[in-house]
Amino acid sequence: MGILGLAKLIADVAPAAIKENEMKNYFGRKVAVDASMSLYQFLVAVRQEGNMLMTADGETTSHLMGFFYRTIRMVDNGIKPVYVFDGKPPTMKGGELAKRKERRDEAQKQLEQAEEAGNVEDIDKFSRRLVKVTKTHSDEAKTLLKLMGIPYVEAPCEAEAQCAALAKAGKVFGVATEDMDALTFGTPVLLRHLTFSEARKMPIKEFHLSKVLEGMELSQKEFIDMCILLGCDYCDSIRGIGPKRAIELIRSHKTIDDVVSKLDKKKYSPPEEWPYAEARNLFIEPEVADPDSIELKWVEPDEEGLVKYMCEDKGFNEDRIRNGCKKLAKARSGTTQGRLDSFFKIIPQQPNSANKRKSEEKPGAKKGTAKRGRGSFRKGR
Amino acid sequence: MFEARLVQGNLLKKVLDAIKDLLNEASWDCADSGIQLQAMDNSHVSLVSVNLRAEGFDKYRCDRNIIMGMDLTSMSKILKCAANDDIITMKAQDNPDNVTFMFESPSQEKVSDYEMKLMNLDQEHLGIPETDYACVIKMPSGEFARICRDLSQFGESIVIACTKEGVRFSAAGDIGTANIKLAQTSSVDKEDDAVIIDMQEPVTLTFACRYLNMFTKATPLSPQVSLSMSPEVPLVVEYAIGEIGQIQYFLAPKIDDQDN
Repeated sequence: MGILGLAKLIADVAPAAIKENEMKNYFGRKVAVDASMSLYQFLVAVRQEGNMLMTADGETTSHLMGFFYRTIRMVDNGIKPVYVFDGKPPTMKGGELAKRKERRDEAQKQLEQAEEAGNVEDIDKFSRRLVKVTKTHSDEAKTLLKLMGIPYVEAPCEAEAQCAALAKAGKVFGVATEDMDALTFGTPVLLRHLTFSEARKMPIKEFHLSKVLEGMELSQKEFIDMCILLGCDYCDSIRGIGPKRAIELIRSHKTIDDVVSKLDKKKYSPPEEWPYAEARNLFIEPEVADPDSIELKWVEPDEEGLVKYMCEDKGFNEDRIRNGCKKLAKARSGTTQGRLDSFFKIIPQQPNSANKRKSEEKPGAKKGTAKRGRGSFRKGR
Repeated sequence: MFEARLVQGNLLKKVLDAIKDLLNEASWDCADSGIQLQAMDNSHVSLVSVNLRAEGFDKYRCDRNIIMGMDLTSMSKILKCAANDDIITMKAQDNPDNVTFMFESPSQEKVSDYEMKLMNLDQEHLGIPETDYACVIKMPSGEFARICRDLSQFGESIVIACTKEGVRFSAAGDIGTANIKLAQTSSVDKEDDAVIIDMQEPVTLTFACRYLNMFTKATPLSPQVSLSMSPEVPLVVEYAIGEIGQIQYFLAPKIDDQDN
């Protein structure tokens, strides 16, 4: 999942790239949500007494519950979500997927053992690890979103890559996912914890790619190479090279090719067949649909349709669904609050001006004078 | 060395009351010409700009420009310790880690010193263009505070419509609608009570009550408030700070949604 240890590395090396914010401060923002990750998240997390929520016939509904309420939470806060679903996995991901299957088989065995021993905690733990997102799950989520009037996009390949493309094209403000590889795909702003439950009171973490690169002193290309060294979904990394060493190596050698040629082969051995160049290509030119061809429309929720689908077919409580519908409809009426930064331009800070103790400016240098720019508003339409 | 002495210490107390609900922390830029503060609230909807001129202080000295990042909640706590008639002096070194507030009673019999740690704040400065506004409304500040308070019972937003007849404030919500119309004062007997409208073209804009109500915390600073509006640009709410400066609030309007 994502890039190994990238979040921690960013917090260490480029702390200025991370901002924490409350959800209500994202009003009016369009956000691309990695739906496949959310599906998984909901199936794992939305549970009652350790079991997934189910209808009378034993159909899972955890994901629908998650999609319905977490989407409403976002919409209620003025956020406009657009969900992006995974397409087919890239062939490069085969290795990673095989590993995941192995882990799942392992968990299955452990679950059986735990059941035999009657250890409730372990049963719970391992059954969560067994969660698998199926096509039915995502089709049901899509049906629900359509009824809710929330747009969704089907990515030809990886959802994170499509999210990143939407954000780069300016179609959305940022990408909501927990997977850090969205940054490797070039997402300008990554939002973590956006789809978490309200009860957890987690502030939203904002990662700015430009500040990450600035703090790490890397270009986007070098950043991609560093992420591959850290460990991505597409190929192996070099044993014994952790985050610290990875960033040092890339800083001094710029590319993996140079890193490999200069590497002390006795100490570190790169994997024998190491398709890092292909992995790099996947990050630079992922298979995505052209963002300009995608039109995002948030429409009126279909209340009767929702009640029919969620209550009659899936056994949800009708009052709650109708209440949710009201919230969706209310958020659509009325106007959106504007932001000052869309009217006034931010004056770039002089280097070190924040770091006053270090700045050795000449006495009498006027810092305050740059505060008021001249010019005029754009008037009228 | 930075030192600013204000006999009317009360003013500084009121300035803090006027900004501390909107901002948690902010940087005070001290220069030869005076002290300035500019900061946006967390959601970037409003901006506060405070300007205190050097001439307004009874004693002012600033050898080098310094930026003092302060936790405004803490600063407000300290200023609460000053009596209303105290003389307040702010002091700091050239590269300060701390700022000192000194309160002297008018009789000079009691002198208190409070030292506060400064913070290194990474704040964005916005360039605010000088603008000729289409409407400038001057009105009693108490009246404005009252209108905002009354209308916020009806809905989340207030519509301010300025025409040549006068200015209309309105709100609508679940319980019904509310309209308050103010006409221009014809005869000016008392300047502080007058409503004066200077209008080039009519403007109607919608704003969030929550922010307007926070702006009116500045009401004790000045008997008059001025509202400046132009189509599709932020509103400016301005109060004078005694004789020594002014506080301006900028508020982004609510806009119609294009995606729906």
